[in-house]
Amino acid sequence: MRTFLRATIGSARISTIIYWRFFNWTGFALRFLSPLLSLSVAWILYNVVYHQSTSTSFKGAANSSDYFSFVVVGSAFFVYVVSTLFTLGRVMYWDRAQGVLETIFLTPSSILGYITGRMLAAFFMATIDLLVLFGIGYALGFQVTSFNAPIFLASIGLMMASLFGLGLIVNTITLIFRDRVNTANTLTTLILVFSGVVAPIRLMPDWAQRVGALIPFTYAINLLRASLLSTESGAVNYGDLWYLVGLTSVYLLAGHALLIATVKTVRKQALYSHI
Amino acid sequence: MSFFRVVKAELHKYYVQQFVSYRTAFWFLVLPFGNGLLYYSMYLPFTSTVVQFSWLGHNALVDIVGFTLLGQLLYTFFVGVTLAGSAFDTERVQRTFEAMLLTPASRVAILLGGLVVATAQYLWLIVGIIPVFLFYFHLGIAVADPLALLLSLFLTYTALTALGLCLEAFFIQTRKGILLGTTLQEPVALASGVIVPPSAYPTQIALLTYLIPLTLGLISVRLTLLAGGMLSEVLVPLATLAAMTVMFLFLGRWLIARAETIAKANGSLALF
Repeated sequence: MRTFLRATIGSARISTIIYWRFFNWTGFALRFLSPLLSLSVAWILYNVVYHQSTSTSFKGAANSSDYFSFVVVGSAFFVYVVSTLFTLGRVMYWDRAQGVLETIFLTPSSILGYITGRMLAAFFMATIDLLVLFGIGYALGFQVTSFNAPIFLASIGLMMASLFGLGLIVNTITLIFRDRVNTANTLTTLILVFSGVVAPIRLMPDWAQRVGALIPFTYAINLLRASLLSTESGAVNYGDLWYLVGLTSVYLLAGHALLIATVKTVRKQALYSHI
Repeated sequence: MSFFRVVKAELHKYYVQQFVSYRTAFWFLVLPFGNGLLYYSMYLPFTSTVVQFSWLGHNALVDIVGFTLLGQLLYTFFVGVTLAGSAFDTERVQRTFEAMLLTPASRVAILLGGLVVATAQYLWLIVGIIPVFLFYFHLGIAVADPLALLLSLFLTYTALTALGLCLEAFFIQTRKGILLGTTLQEPVALASGVIVPPSAYPTQIALLTYLIPLTLGLISVRLTLLAGGMLSEVLVPLATLAAMTVMFLFLGRWLIARAETIAKANGSLALF
């Protein structure tokens, strides 16, 4: 346990230092282009094109008629998905590219602790993005109408745990298949479309709902919205909470199993090298 | 004759390198399909299933399926053109840029070859996405003037291709071609009316968006394909697109010559 914690803290510390050492404003600003596009479109559709006339099916699904706030919450928390796929999902890929993967594997520290530290650093940086997006959202009219702290904290914790599992799975794929961006790009697009970031999943076609049901982020975002935006009591769907717990366990177990298998495969087949 | 041989050679090169690759499938199939569904779903929370957009006094009501589908189709072509615009960056990374410029091949032909590839890659989208929207989402088509529709498609294609030529010539002057090409995508998507009609913006801003060829292409294709627009209704955007085609072609050619001279003088043709 002590080794695990030391590896976690050390890895998180180094990752954060490197991030700030190579920080550039252009890269930071570019990260907001996609979420800003979603926010701008939502704001224009809600306020200008349709003059805030949301349908009853939307109100029923979202427990609120405020579409802009609905999208702000979805887009803001989506930064953790991007961070998972593009940072955590490529930890070993980039370590190999930099030629340090072999050294890391030679140390007697915990590999799981090492990856956990990278996740903590990535999520810490993503939290800054989240705050910036909430700030922009507030400036444009985002309103928090309720705050259910237990549900909010539980869904944040479960969302991060499930994303950690997903990150471990993606890490294996990118390392084994030597894939720099395709997996991350594809999964980012799929999760953005099918998890209800910009529209309640219940309004989408049946097949899209079935895809969304397999993504833990769908349930996490439902719960986060219920804890922040609902205008009615009893808006929290506890079914979402149990589904989220179940899927998080599945993703974590799958991710951990793949991490162990990856470490073994890399050692057996000498996949440390960039070439 | 040698001009077209260079175009053909470039086409063949990109076919071998890129046409059947996951990267191409992502940019020309996964991403447009995902974005199409995403922006379509952004209209679902509202009471109306139609979008109203205006152009020089002409008003049209268009179903959200057709509106978002056409938006994505033309936008994807624009993305393909901007990605082709970073072709010289790729040559520099492959260390073939200097050798390429040492050959007597026409520079415009080299760039045109890359843009023809962008069009060929577009087949992925045509084959993949249109049947889904036509048969699953039941896209409503209302063509009253086929000539107007053909001219709209043709002039949108030529204007965007000529813009791509300019972008390629512009990106050669920097080592951040891919970054610039990527950065352009979201602002253009918002301003050109891919997702929301430009008529939703204040008049002054809406006028500025007409400087983007994609905006005019979207207006003319949407009007003629989905709202039964006649040639007289889209004459102004079509004439502007034709003018933009000619202007961008000349500008692109001049920029390429200038960029090559500067790059040779600065010794910036090599990777380092």
